[in-house]
Amino acid sequence: MEDTGAVVAFWILAAITVGAALGVAAVRNLIHSVVLLIVSFAGVAGLYITLSADFIAVVQILIYIGAIAILIIFAIVLTPRAGRLNQEGFMFLPALVLAALVAGTMIFVAFDTSWAISEREGFEDTATAIGDLLLGKYALPFEIASVLLLSAIIGAILLVRPEGAEEGPE
Amino acid sequence: MTLKSEPFVVNVGPQHPSTHGVFRLRLTLDGEKIIDADMVMGYLHRSMEKLAEERTYTQNIPFTDRTDYLAAMTGNLAYVMAVEKLMNIEVPERAQFLRTIMAELQRIASHSMAIGIFANDCGAWQTPVMHMFRDREKILDLFEMACGARLTLNYMRIGGVSRDIPDEWMPQAHKLLKDLPNRFAEYEDLLLSNEIIIARSRGIGVLTPEQAIAYSVSGPMLRGSGVAWDIRKADPYAAYDKLDFDIAVGTNGDAYDRFVIRLAELRQSLRILEQALDMMPTGPVHERLGTSTVQPGTQPIAPLVFRPPVGEAYARIESPRGELGYYIVSDGGPSPFRFHIRSPSFINLTPLKQMAIGSTIADAIVILGSVDIVVGEVDR
Amino acid sequence: MAILLSGEWYDLRDLANPIRELIDGLGLPDAADYVLWSLIAALAIVTWLVVSVIAFIWIERRLVALMQNRIGPNRVGPAGLLQPIADAIKLLLKEAITTRDADRLLFWLAPIIVFIPTIVVFAVVPFGESMVLADLNVGVLFVIAVAGIMTPAIFIAGWSSNNKYALLAAMRTIAMLISYEIVQVLALLSAVLFIGSMNLGAFVSWQDEYNTWLIFIMPLPVVAYIIAGAVEINRSPMDLSEAESELAAGYHTEYGGIKFGFFYQAEYMAGFAVAATVTTLFLGGWTLWGLEEWIPGWIIFLGKLYAVFFLYIWSRATLPRLRIDQLMAFAWKFMLPLMLVNVLVIGAEVVVWEETGASRNIALPAIGALNATLAVILVVGWARVLGHGSGRQRGYRATLTQEIGKIYYTGAEAS
Repeated sequence: MEDTGAVVAFWILAAITVGAALGVAAVRNLIHSVVLLIVSFAGVAGLYITLSADFIAVVQILIYIGAIAILIIFAIVLTPRAGRLNQEGFMFLPALVLAALVAGTMIFVAFDTSWAISEREGFEDTATAIGDLLLGKYALPFEIASVLLLSAIIGAILLVRPEGAEEGPE
Repeated sequence: MTLKSEPFVVNVGPQHPSTHGVFRLRLTLDGEKIIDADMVMGYLHRSMEKLAEERTYTQNIPFTDRTDYLAAMTGNLAYVMAVEKLMNIEVPERAQFLRTIMAELQRIASHSMAIGIFANDCGAWQTPVMHMFRDREKILDLFEMACGARLTLNYMRIGGVSRDIPDEWMPQAHKLLKDLPNRFAEYEDLLLSNEIIIARSRGIGVLTPEQAIAYSVSGPMLRGSGVAWDIRKADPYAAYDKLDFDIAVGTNGDAYDRFVIRLAELRQSLRILEQALDMMPTGPVHERLGTSTVQPGTQPIAPLVFRPPVGEAYARIESPRGELGYYIVSDGGPSPFRFHIRSPSFINLTPLKQMAIGSTIADAIVILGSVDIVVGEVDR
Repeated sequence: MAILLSGEWYDLRDLANPIRELIDGLGLPDAADYVLWSLIAALAIVTWLVVSVIAFIWIERRLVALMQNRIGPNRVGPAGLLQPIADAIKLLLKEAITTRDADRLLFWLAPIIVFIPTIVVFAVVPFGESMVLADLNVGVLFVIAVAGIMTPAIFIAGWSSNNKYALLAAMRTIAMLISYEIVQVLALLSAVLFIGSMNLGAFVSWQDEYNTWLIFIMPLPVVAYIIAGAVEINRSPMDLSEAESELAAGYHTEYGGIKFGFFYQAEYMAGFAVAATVTTLFLGGWTLWGLEEWIPGWIIFLGKLYAVFFLYIWSRATLPRLRIDQLMAFAWKFMLPLMLVNVLVIGAEVVVWEETGASRNIALPAIGALNATLAVILVVGWARVLGHGSGRQRGYRATLTQEIGKIYYTGAEAS
């Protein structure tokens, strides 16, 4: 991290990411929240780029901004009587406690771990390396994750299927 | 578990690219599916029927141009026929043929627009309309030669037509008739089997013959539902009884059928025109009426004021949109006592709600396009 | 002086050369060098984009007018050439209306966000041998990912206007973009599998080295990508999100003035981005079988790009529009299975080629012929399976009759 450019970029990106993430929780309007969430995702993608993990960065944009954010938008728009407002419900206090606990744990871990700083240069072609690992060394976890997602998809389809539905609407 | 959704009201119009004027459609949607449709009319109401009661019979002819402004000739024709019926006027042979020719040219012009706009409603971005305009333009040129106007023609007169066609008219008309079959073949190639148009218009807006008759729709709408009914054949007027042509009918009563019927009627109109131009007799184009002045060597011109006998008359013709009828009650005065227009656009529009419910908003636009309304005629 | 003497600066075959010479000549430190280089390149890309858009507003209007029997804009300047400029001035001078119940912040933000991805895509596109702003290793993925930013931007535009047409159109757009993004990804995946790299420059050099274009080797993904691209840039027959005849102007119904101008420009730029991707990945990029020695590569590239973009202009003036459910069915029921099979086939071909070690002169034509045949079989076969090409899809003429009052209704289509 001796490169000043990278350091500056890191701090700017970190500020954007964290600021936007705070905004997600603080903003009243749910759609505004989603927009801030997108900004936060983009900041994370930027952080990946400073780590020269270009593949992960692009995938972050593709999956999180292009898909997850859209999914959340859909969820908000399709929820009847969502009120479109980020309200203080009765879960406010428990959520605060839980968030504080998670934050505490994270901070503790961050300071407690003795971070090993690798001397090696960044990968030239991260996509190839990731591909090799996913289909070689980590093939089994990769497949398990795939199967898990598949079962989640099937489960979701079964859940939203109208009861006693006959063959498709067409 | 079922997904619940809230109904959603969308106003299509009064200012909207595909309402063909200022017509408003209030759609209640469930997602994209229409669960209720309300038609709101009257944005173009000009109170023509009441205005006509204050003007003389001749002064009322321009009003009929402005009801169905895409088919002014047929509007003229139906009105003058009603007055002639009231007054028992025989119209000269040549005038009858001129009226027939003009009405059929008008039908080609109007159907061209209807087909083009229908394709536009299916999403073809302007191209079909622009191609159709090419033919319509030629026809309007002919109208201009005959009467000096292109849109609001004011050509028919009580007892005939306003003036005879000039000498150059016939060659130009023959030239147009030679061009048109190729154009029609081109449109049939382009549109008839266009997969997207078929996907968009087949099986939507279905009207069974029973429903069509119950709603008293007419014209291509009625024929689309498979009922072979055409006033030109069923109750011939002008010179139609001397001409040979077919009625085009559909079999499914959907939007696509109405569209193919209009395409087929273009060719039938062409057939009529070819015969009529050949058979056209010579002679006066206007009946000599009581007070009309005749200068030597000219055609008789229509008097400005009529006083028809007390009575009532209804005349109907097959306008491009359907049965166009004029009902006139006379109290013996110079202007009608009651003047009513049975406008096909208005009556054809009534089943729209029935046809639209259950389809999607995109279908509703296509169905509306297949009805082919002219708002000037709906609201009058 | 050294710049002028080096003999490299006038080599316009690659515009990067003179700029590099110029920057090297300044003798700046590395970092400043880099920043300057990026700035010049970015500025050049944006300038080219804006000029292209302005030119194509005129070209498209004239072309479409030709196709539609019209003359097109011919009043402002010679042959109407200044029309786009007049349009731009009009848009700039118009009042920027924000509707009362609009979400002001997002309403202003949306046109800007829509603008970003369309420009950023060009960062990884090689305009010439060394004319690429960021030679990214994951270029292909970058193109898709950046294009994906359009989706939330369009939703924001539709939602913030607080207009029912806009919201409906925005929801449609999202559903469409997501569906066709999958097709797009799969189309590109087969290309990536074959080349073995995600770097756009590698695609060009591969096609240069093997003296062929990828479109000859795998026609199906190219067609799929172009169709999916039409969805992405809202071109007919996929222009549902701004379906004029149904939803007024779609998600930008409430936008006027320069805010609308942003959407308008972004649409063109997105079109250029799709065309640039097709050109680079499937049409050999800036190469033309050795001709790039004599003609500047960027001219070849732009020529191909505009040719691909012409396809979209052409289809816009030709085709009607599909309904949303038909469009989605086309993506999920038709294109997706085909693309999945295609990926499988291409993967198998790569493996077989590697295993047999056949020479490229045999292997490439064989693979190309196989893929072309397979594409035809797959498209026709799958269409038949889905029931296309049967009676329902065929047009018919009206029945002609002389019998008054007879009823011909059969109701075969009534549902």
